[in-house]
Amino acid sequence: MSDQPPDSNPPPAGADAHRPTLAERLYLPEIAKGLGNTFRHMLREPFTVDYDGTERDNPAKHRVPCPGYRGEHYLKKDEDGHVKCVACFMCAAACPAECIHIEAAPTPPDWKNRERYPIRFEIDLLRCIYCGYCEEACPVDAIALSPQYNVCSDTREAKVYGRDRLLADGVKYGLSLSTHKYRPDGVPGAAPAAEQSGQ
Amino acid sequence: MDYALKLIPVVLVFGGVLSIVPVFVILERKICAWIQDRIGPNRVGLFGPDSVLEGLSFKTGTRRILGGWLQPFADVVKLIAKEAIVPANADRALYILAPAFALLPPLLAFVVIPAGPDIDFRGGTVVPLQVADLHVGILFVLAAASLSAYGLAFGGWASNNKFSLLGGVRATAQMISYEIGMGLVILAVVMTYDSVSLRDMAYLQAGAQPILDEHGMPTGFWQYGADGIGGWGIWRQPLAFILFVICAFAENNRLPFDLPECEAELVGGYHTEYSSLGFGMFMQAEYIAILAMGALLTTCFLGGWHYPWYGAVLARDPVLAALLGVVCFAVKACAFVLFSMWVRWTLPRFRWDQLMNLGWKAVVPLALANLVLTAVLNLPATAPPRPDHRMTAAARGM
Repeated sequence: MSDQPPDSNPPPAGADAHRPTLAERLYLPEIAKGLGNTFRHMLREPFTVDYDGTERDNPAKHRVPCPGYRGEHYLKKDEDGHVKCVACFMCAAACPAECIHIEAAPTPPDWKNRERYPIRFEIDLLRCIYCGYCEEACPVDAIALSPQYNVCSDTREAKVYGRDRLLADGVKYGLSLSTHKYRPDGVPGAAPAAEQSGQ
Repeated sequence: MDYALKLIPVVLVFGGVLSIVPVFVILERKICAWIQDRIGPNRVGLFGPDSVLEGLSFKTGTRRILGGWLQPFADVVKLIAKEAIVPANADRALYILAPAFALLPPLLAFVVIPAGPDIDFRGGTVVPLQVADLHVGILFVLAAASLSAYGLAFGGWASNNKFSLLGGVRATAQMISYEIGMGLVILAVVMTYDSVSLRDMAYLQAGAQPILDEHGMPTGFWQYGADGIGGWGIWRQPLAFILFVICAFAENNRLPFDLPECEAELVGGYHTEYSSLGFGMFMQAEYIAILAMGALLTTCFLGGWHYPWYGAVLARDPVLAALLGVVCFAVKACAFVLFSMWVRWTLPRFRWDQLMNLGWKAVVPLALANLVLTAVLNLPATAPPRPDHRMTAAARGM
C-alpha cells in the first residue's frame, strides 16, 4: 500500500476523460442515487425462480431450465415396448468420460426388428459430464438426455443407473417413445409431427 | 429492592440485544437477495415452498417476504454442530479468547445507553431504563469501541494465517484512524449538550427542563417532554451526524469499509480460520456492534427514546410514555442497522488507500471544522444549563 502513489488510479488521459463534478467528488449525492437504485430493485419481482425441490418427480410441475437442457439420461422404447437400443456401443465409444457400460446379447426370437439388445446398460452418473455425445452418437435414437437436473442421492451406488431405471425414467417423464421429443416450450410430452420432421 | 430494580434494564437491554441478532442475520440475507433481484432464503419456516402450509398455495410475493424466517435457527444449529477447529501452530489461548474479545466491547457499550426514560410509577418507585449512568458517559462507549479492535487483531494474529493476520492488521489501523474522527465528532456533540452523560443528552433532546435548586444548579429533570422533534441533535449537528454515520460504518468494518474481512483479497480476513461458534461469535459481535452504533447514533442525534407527541402521552400516562419510548428507541436503532445493510449491498468496497484518504483527509478535517464551529456557536450565554447527573440521581432518591 505504501508503494502506491496517493491516487493510483488516475483518470485516463484524453479528451473524453470524465471530469468529476463537485457533487460527484462529494460522494454523498452519488451514494444517495445508488441507494435509490437499489431500493427500486428491492421492490421488483425477483429475477430468479423458486427451486422446485420436492416437485422433482412431478412432471407437470418440474421446471425446465431451457430448451435443450442436458440432464439425466433415459432410454427409449420401440413400438413393441422393448428397449430401443441395439447394443452397438456407439454411445460408449463416444463417451469422453467412459461412464457407459453395455453388455450385449442376441434378441429373443420374438423381437423381429433387430438381432442384438443390451442385457446390461449402466450409466455412472457420477462420472458423466452431461455432454450429450451419447445422444448424438446413437444411430437409432435410443438414448437421450432429459431435462431432469435434480440429481441428489444418498449413496454412490444409487447414481449408477441401470437399464430398467433408464427405461422407467423415460416413461415417467413421458419421453419414452422415439417420437416423443422434449418440446421447446418446456412441457415434456409428444411433439407435433411437423416439428419432428424438421429436426 | 434496589438491586431487583437494577436487574430490569439489564435483562431488558442485554436480553433484547442478544436475541435480536438472528433477526438481523436473516434480514441481511433477505435484503441482499431483494436488492439483487433474487428470492433469498425461503425454505425454513412455515411459508416456504416445501412447508406444511404449502397446500394454501401462497402467492409468490407472500412467499418472497414471509418464507425463510426460521433460517437463522437452522444456521445456529449448524454452527453448534460443527467442529471447532484450532489450526496447527495457532496461539491456542488467544485463538479461543479472540471471539470473546470481539463480542464483549459492543455489549459493554449498551451499559450506558438509555433504552428509555425512567419509568415513574405514581407510588414513587422509579425504574431506570439504563443499566448504569456512568459519570464518563459517552467516553465509556468510545473506550469500549476501541477495545473491540483487540478482538479482531487477536483473531488475526492467533490464527497463524497470513490472510487472517493482514485482516487483523487492517482492522487495527482502520479502527484507530476512524476513532479519531469519531472522537472529534462526539466532542462537538458533547459541547452541544454540555454533558457527557447519554442520559442527559436523551432528556435534553426530549425537551426536558432541568430542575434548578436555589443556587441555580440543576438537580434533575422535570418530567416534561416536547411534542415536536425540533430538539433532536440531528438539527443541531447535521454535519456531525453525517460524519458520525461514516465513522460508524468504518468502526464496525461494514461495507463499504469492510477491509478487514474483504473476501476478494483476504478470503475471510481475521475470521478465515474460525469455524463453529468461534465464527458465530464474530458474526454476533459484528451485528451487536452495528446495533450499538445505531443506539449511540440514536441517543446523540435522533432524540434517543423521544418520539412525536411524547409530551402529550407523558401528561396522560408516564408509564405508557416510557414503554412507548423503549419501542421507539429500538425501532430507531434497528433502522440504522437496516440502513447499514442497505448501504452494504449498494456500495462497492473502498480501496485501502481511499479508505485512509477519506479518514484522514476528509473526516478528520471536517470534524475539526465542525468542532470549531460548534465552539463558536455554543457560547456560554446560549448553552443550556448543565445538569449534574449525580445530583439527579440523588433527587430521584436512588
